[in-house]
Amino acid sequence: MSIEAGQEIADLVKHPTTRQLVQYAGAQGDFYEIHYDQPYAQSVGLPGVILHGLLKAAFLGQLVTDWLGDRGTLKTFEVTYRGIDTPAHPYVCRGRVRRVEGLDVELEVWGQNPDGQRTTVGTATVRLHA
Amino acid sequence: MSATTAVIDRLRTRIGVDGQPVTATVEAGHVRRFAAAIGDPNPRWTKEAPPTFLVALAPVSLHLEEAEEYGKGWLNGGNRFEYFAPVVIGDRITATGRVADVYEKSGSSGDLLFIIFETAYVNQDGAVVAKLRGTMIRR
Repeated sequence: MSIEAGQEIADLVKHPTTRQLVQYAGAQGDFYEIHYDQPYAQSVGLPGVILHGLLKAAFLGQLVTDWLGDRGTLKTFEVTYRGIDTPAHPYVCRGRVRRVEGLDVELEVWGQNPDGQRTTVGTATVRLHA
Repeated sequence: MSATTAVIDRLRTRIGVDGQPVTATVEAGHVRRFAAAIGDPNPRWTKEAPPTFLVALAPVSLHLEEAEEYGKGWLNGGNRFEYFAPVVIGDRITATGRVADVYEKSGSSGDLLFIIFETAYVNQDGAVVAKLRGTMIRR
């Protein structure tokens, strides 16, 4: 199938849990307490433990690599965190093709909470194999 | 001079100065644990590293202790990865990070301190495999 601007990427729905935050903290080596210590998170003004920004980035990375498969190479991947997300709610990763120039493709990607707010937004650029 | 101005001035002296390089091997077990933690079952990650794995391989100090006098918590503002070559199991990667910028902004919920980090990742052959630019915020 040819790749064209406007095409949507299949949704990737994640179901993060506090357990996953602990698992990710260990795998990344980021032990900042706001990701697993409920009283600590509340003491710094958060509603409770929150997802690591980089975990949400990893979800969007999976969205992109699942879509790309072996058709090309990821060149850049950029995410901005606009809001916090808490576990026990589905996190929906979405995207669409923004631009195609020859073998270069730019994707718009985002993650949204159950209220439909885009709490993570990003851009990925890929180079397709000739 | 206020305490926060002193913190900012001190941090600003670090702009452009490379930190201590960190070298680590891309281990199959670590990549497998990372892929499991992010919930990505792609079999590709038995041979190469997923896009954001580099942050786990050689964590450069994103939480600068001397910035913690400012505000009460850290937030991650964003990350930008640029890729030049694949990172595969067995690679030996050296990460060198530095502070690229430090500045204060007034937001609707109070003052924020922005610290911009840049990290370069070089493999065993001397090739730059990736660069990462990150924005950490004290609030």
